[in-house]
Amino acid sequence: MFTRTDDKITATQAAIFLNNTVLGAGILTLPRGVSDAVKTPDSWLSVLLGGVIVMAVVTLMVKISQQFPGKTIFQYAGSIVGRVPGALLCLPLILYFLILAGFEIRSLAEVTLFFLLEGTPIWAIILPFIWAGTYLVYGGINSIARVFQIVFPISIMILIICYALSLRLFDIDNLRPVLGEGILPVIYGLKSTVLVYSGCEVVMTLVAFMQRPEKAVKTMLIGIGIPVGLYFLTVVMVIGGLSIDSVVTSTWPTIDLIRSFEITGFLFERMEFPLMVIWLMQMFCNFCSFFFQASLGISQIFRLKVHPVIYMLIPVIFISAMIPKSISEVFSLGDFIGKSGLFLFMLLPVLLSIIWLIRRKGSKQHV
Amino acid sequence: MTKLKQTLENFIYTAVYFNESRVIALLATVISYIPGWAIFGQAGIALLFPLLGHGLYKALYSMVGSGRAVESPGTKNSDPNKNQQPAPDTGPIPDPQGFSGDYAADLKFIRDSIGSNSDLHFKEFTISGLQKQAVLIFVDGMQNDRQLNLQIMQFLVSEAAADSLSTPGKALSELPFSQINEAGDLTLFNQSVLFGHAGLLVEGLPQGLLIEPPDGANRALAEPVSEALLRGPRLGFSEVLSENTSILRRQGFNDQLEMRSYRAGTRIRKDLVLAYMKDIVNLELLKEVETRISKLDIDFLAESGYIEQLIEDNYLSPFQQVQNTERPDRVISALLEGRIAILLDGTPFALIVPVTFSMLLQSPEDYYERWLPGTMIRLLRFVASFMALMAPALYISFISFHPGLIPTELALSIIETRQGVPFPSIIEVLILEVSIEILREAGIRLPKPVGPAMGIVGGLIIGDAAVNAGIVSPFLVIVVAVTAISSFSIPMYSAGITLRMLRFLGMGFAALLGMFGTILFFLLLCSHLTKLKSFGVPYLTPVTPYRLSDWKDLFLRAPLSLMKRRPIMMKTQNNRRKS
Repeated sequence: MFTRTDDKITATQAAIFLNNTVLGAGILTLPRGVSDAVKTPDSWLSVLLGGVIVMAVVTLMVKISQQFPGKTIFQYAGSIVGRVPGALLCLPLILYFLILAGFEIRSLAEVTLFFLLEGTPIWAIILPFIWAGTYLVYGGINSIARVFQIVFPISIMILIICYALSLRLFDIDNLRPVLGEGILPVIYGLKSTVLVYSGCEVVMTLVAFMQRPEKAVKTMLIGIGIPVGLYFLTVVMVIGGLSIDSVVTSTWPTIDLIRSFEITGFLFERMEFPLMVIWLMQMFCNFCSFFFQASLGISQIFRLKVHPVIYMLIPVIFISAMIPKSISEVFSLGDFIGKSGLFLFMLLPVLLSIIWLIRRKGSKQHV
Repeated sequence: MTKLKQTLENFIYTAVYFNESRVIALLATVISYIPGWAIFGQAGIALLFPLLGHGLYKALYSMVGSGRAVESPGTKNSDPNKNQQPAPDTGPIPDPQGFSGDYAADLKFIRDSIGSNSDLHFKEFTISGLQKQAVLIFVDGMQNDRQLNLQIMQFLVSEAAADSLSTPGKALSELPFSQINEAGDLTLFNQSVLFGHAGLLVEGLPQGLLIEPPDGANRALAEPVSEALLRGPRLGFSEVLSENTSILRRQGFNDQLEMRSYRAGTRIRKDLVLAYMKDIVNLELLKEVETRISKLDIDFLAESGYIEQLIEDNYLSPFQQVQNTERPDRVISALLEGRIAILLDGTPFALIVPVTFSMLLQSPEDYYERWLPGTMIRLLRFVASFMALMAPALYISFISFHPGLIPTELALSIIETRQGVPFPSIIEVLILEVSIEILREAGIRLPKPVGPAMGIVGGLIIGDAAVNAGIVSPFLVIVVAVTAISSFSIPMYSAGITLRMLRFLGMGFAALLGMFGTILFFLLLCSHLTKLKSFGVPYLTPVTPYRLSDWKDLFLRAPLSLMKRRPIMMKTQNNRRKS
């Protein structure tokens, strides 16, 4: 076939899709969140541990999805537990995606208001952003995956450059002592690191779009491995550069780190500007991904056409972005999202897998 | 709403006070989070705007598309009946009138239908060997008169043998002309004669003969004006289709270069040729191009730009989805990559399909120079196209919104020079950008010797005087000048125009939302480009979808020995360049 009209993405695209869904708001907030919870320099251990757990979760999600090739969670949940219970199970997931989309937009708006456009009304930032996202989501999974492919190398490159340049502030003593107060703080830190990986639920729909679903486990592990590595790097560089005390008190510690040094004789004296640029693009990717997942879910559960659903979701997402009243509420919403992500994990992949296993056993006995 | 909320809250607070029910307290928190009317209004606007945009797009699409023959496969057509073409209007072409076989009647018909043209000549004579009447019909200036008069007449009058002109089949094979056709009907005979063939009508022969192809006045072959190169063939296409195809043939010995000719246009019909390499081209692509060509429905194709606009995938996109070129070397190398060329009679511009974005930034010279300079120049072009697109937008967002993001001394000096400028930066940029665009346009229209001088002098004077008059800042003059030069460094003129056009859009975004707007503009552009397809090939291939092996010829121009395969994106039948 010369012209392809099917909605399939390659393995690379799937991995980048997952990466760009997960990597986002956490770049700026994770160091503070995790240090707040851990209170020792061992935050990086929490990030790694959280990463390992999330990888296990992702593997489980891929495994269950692979049993139903070409079907998303919204479709195979119905075939496991029946259509109506399946829909009821998936509704929280859709709600979760909607809240996440709103959360991403809101934190983007807060950062933009704080650093770039002081005094601008918040709707003036949110509305164009949602519209741009709508235009992209309207093009379907192929367009989204392609835009992600454009954004991905740019953001990774600039992120790495930023961190490399901040090496001059890096002090290994800020990260010591390792496990000075035992393993317990690391475990406490897990609850905030789980938040940054929220969004990995997209795996359950992504596998259905892959050209070769049999390669999904490896692909998805790479896709989640990149954000794990980058988050780890973020935490190490920020805590190593700023020390744990100043990280806890700052709202956006990563930007503070990048702001705190100058490169004279370069076009930009501070790397803050490129960092903001890639972060905005990354947030756009995040948002589009969740927007797409939510609209896909609603259209598949209620058997609607996807394009009207996209339009109908615009005001919903806008309102969900406007609900937090202040920036501290945005952060607590983030915590809530992290917890509900955990709940969703119990509800969907675990429960579905168990039911599916039982039913398969049962049907085998009948045969 | 707020009042209602307040009473509700009051009620709930009292309820809490008396009942101490936690459920109701929870309800109170939930209600306190329900946003006010303003938010709902904004949400309504949020919904309304895309719906309006969607409606406008649909309306525009169907309006522009109604006169179009092609419904591209990539676009979803909600109502297939809406775009169905009415039955082809055959009005302008009269029903073909067959030859009656009666010499006098046929000649009378010809005289009646086209005889009133003053440049048409009827030369009646008697073929001596046959003792039959014959007439030679031709148009002034279309034939080599001397040859026509001396040789053809001489042959026909005295030498033509009896049997060769008696039966139609024999006439074709036995008459000693290299180019000779039989016209099937009188209408075609008339059209061909007026197009420049010499027509021969012989008594007793039930068909008209067309001898000698048209040989009208043409310009000589010359260097392509719009795509000049330092190194490379100096040969450009001309206006004559047969010359153009012969130039393509003369690129080298090969038996796989196939050219298929079509005739398009409903009132004035023109020849067009599809050229491709038979053993390389993807057959589905060929079929798609043929389908689109066969659906061309317009009375006259004045230039290949008409074809381009009638067969492209998305005509609301600012990006061209068909490449035009005057250079035979560009065409032939595109054919070797598995693309298809469309040549139209009467224009030196050939079309190449499908096209990808990176092709617009490539020049044949990249391959003629050694690979290192080629690579460097190519990278330079990518930088230039980025500047042509973004520089003014970045200037506006830095100056008006975020002077803190650029080095402090630079920001200070720019702000110092802008002290006397009474306008916001968007107006300032617009003044200069628009005058530069006007200068560019004027430079094209002016007579050749005046044009460049006018451009430079106009630019210099306007720039200098505008700075002195305090309308614009000197730094902006630099920005605008660099932008303009960048946009001229793009090898495809039409791609340069696209970027210049989008630049103004980017400036609008930057003026509204600063850096944030500029990034949104970039993302929107990316979203649009990823949706765009040219004849089924995603426009941004090989950047995305990744075709890593095609990257050797994207930003870099790898050494020729490394480029062993044809682009994967073209899905060619035969993908090896080397044996």
